[in-house]
Amino acid sequence: MNGSTWQLSNPMIGVVVVLATFVVFYIVGFVSNRKSSTAKELYVGGSNVGSLVNGLAMASTYMSLATFLGVTALILKLQVPFILLWIQLILAIPLITIIYGTSLRRMGAFSPTHFIRERYGVRASIIAALFMILVSIMYALGQMIGIAITFETLLGIPYMTGLIVGGLIIVGYITVGGMAGATNNAAIQMVIMALMFIVPLGAIMKAVGGTGWYFPPLLYSDMVPTMLEAMPTFFDYQFSPKWYFALITLTIGSLGLPHLAMRVYTASNLKSARSAMVWFAFILGLVFSATYAMGFVGVFATATQGLNISPTDADKLTIILNLVYNPEWVTALVIAGAISAGLSTLSGNLLAIGALLSQDIVATLKPNLSAKANLRVSYFAIFIGGVISILLAIQPPAFLVVSILWAFGLAGVTNAPLIIVGVWWKEANKYGAMFSAAIGGALYIIVSPFVFPSIVLTGHGLTDGIGISGGLLAIPVSFILLIVVSYVTNRMPSLQKKLTKQADIELIERIHGWKDIQNYRYNSTVGAFVTVGICAVIAVWAIMPWHM
Amino acid sequence: MKAYKKEVRFTMLMTLAFILVGNAGLFFVLFPTEAMLFGFPVKYIVPILLGWFGVFFLTIVAGRIGNQIDVDIDQENENISVTESKQMKESA
Repeated sequence: MNGSTWQLSNPMIGVVVVLATFVVFYIVGFVSNRKSSTAKELYVGGSNVGSLVNGLAMASTYMSLATFLGVTALILKLQVPFILLWIQLILAIPLITIIYGTSLRRMGAFSPTHFIRERYGVRASIIAALFMILVSIMYALGQMIGIAITFETLLGIPYMTGLIVGGLIIVGYITVGGMAGATNNAAIQMVIMALMFIVPLGAIMKAVGGTGWYFPPLLYSDMVPTMLEAMPTFFDYQFSPKWYFALITLTIGSLGLPHLAMRVYTASNLKSARSAMVWFAFILGLVFSATYAMGFVGVFATATQGLNISPTDADKLTIILNLVYNPEWVTALVIAGAISAGLSTLSGNLLAIGALLSQDIVATLKPNLSAKANLRVSYFAIFIGGVISILLAIQPPAFLVVSILWAFGLAGVTNAPLIIVGVWWKEANKYGAMFSAAIGGALYIIVSPFVFPSIVLTGHGLTDGIGISGGLLAIPVSFILLIVVSYVTNRMPSLQKKLTKQADIELIERIHGWKDIQNYRYNSTVGAFVTVGICAVIAVWAIMPWHM
Repeated sequence: MKAYKKEVRFTMLMTLAFILVGNAGLFFVLFPTEAMLFGFPVKYIVPILLGWFGVFFLTIVAGRIGNQIDVDIDQENENISVTESKQMKESA
């Protein structure tokens, strides 16, 4: 079992299955989109989506090619630490919902930057939007690498050809019709992904000798003794408590992801948004657990069954296991599932880029632009965003998950503090927001290994690359800047006329559901400075040696 | 005042609970154990189970309390409206 090129021997089976799934998406998109008549409906589906469909759509948008291919690859490299890293990512929608999602839903916001514009003004929202475009492009990059790998295996073509062919087909699909019925399609894609991941996993488990194949996400303990014999270090934690604490930066990062937060606003009401979060947790928990099982089985197969996977093929682990242990038509279904995963997240990313550029930047700077011209900008942005992510994927990082997790950190630095503090503290103002996003974002980029490889915090390539070390420094710095700069500028008489204090107070009371205004609400100076103190300690801890 | 305090407390405690349940690995890196549960090492299976069923359970709790807080806020809003209209009648 040592394939020099892992591919389907009969590509036609794969092509037919992939085409069939695309036809389903087009039909669902066409039927769903007949009801959309305004831009807002296009972006948030008219805010009338039921809780199960919305929960499935949330999970689908979140469960990208990273979950389908990338996680198993990094379990192969890092083993259990990567599983522990991934577990906390399930907190995204529950935390978005309880911390700010319902407030923004009450406000009627249709994107996080919409809230930032209302709360902090145009300049701060443009800074946030520019960073969000970078976040979305880096997120899309990971998907694009996965798409290229999938087409490479599907058609037996080189990575570069797979990237151009697969990338352009999918970007074209999203630009032309991908916005149509996005929520219903995302829900269907989630069901396809779950089935095409878990059912073949059961068959693989049976083939390698596991007896719990009928419920693969949790029933593989009978393989543990053999695994421990062949690889005694598999379950070792490997890293220090600081590394595990730094994972919380990814949790905060997920709170700032533009395409994810938008899903909370599609709920028909607040109760439905909260029910959707329950469905999201159940479905994502199931799929995530299956992913850990797939990673476990992959390592098990390499350690005990003689399966040999070269480091450059790590991202293909899920597909390789299917090629080795399942019939070709099953692998074709898995490839279709992988493309669904990439498609749903890429359409979320590119849709966010389109909305950010057309609604949050161009329409803000040129309010008199016609609706037709604005729509053209939107389509142009979606296409160009896709092409940029294809170009970046020409020289991909070693693992497709790296760019995605790095994007989480950037969202955590530039977007999450503005929203969280903006919703919960009346004193937060535009100066604090601009300083926080610009300086925090620049700091995060500087300490990442992609710009200045010598200026990094740990020297451990993967830890710096996925941004958890940079996030542990830059996220607290962002919170500190937002709170301290706002506090100081609110007390500078020369700036009083430039601040919109009363409007901010009214907005905050309203989005929390209050009909009156009270000074004691959302106004705690003690709370703000306790946050500054905790953040200062964490930031200092981040620059101390990591001993990795 | 009551509903506001409830809202702030609920959000802070629930956020903390979610972070702890989703990051159970942090507990086992501080307090290592070689114990086994359901055939898996505890330090492996407990974070996975909490990351699924623990978070799922918390979302149910968070949903119920969140809905109740909405009701409480609406109730306080109504009380304010009633008091205001009484005051207006008295002054008239």
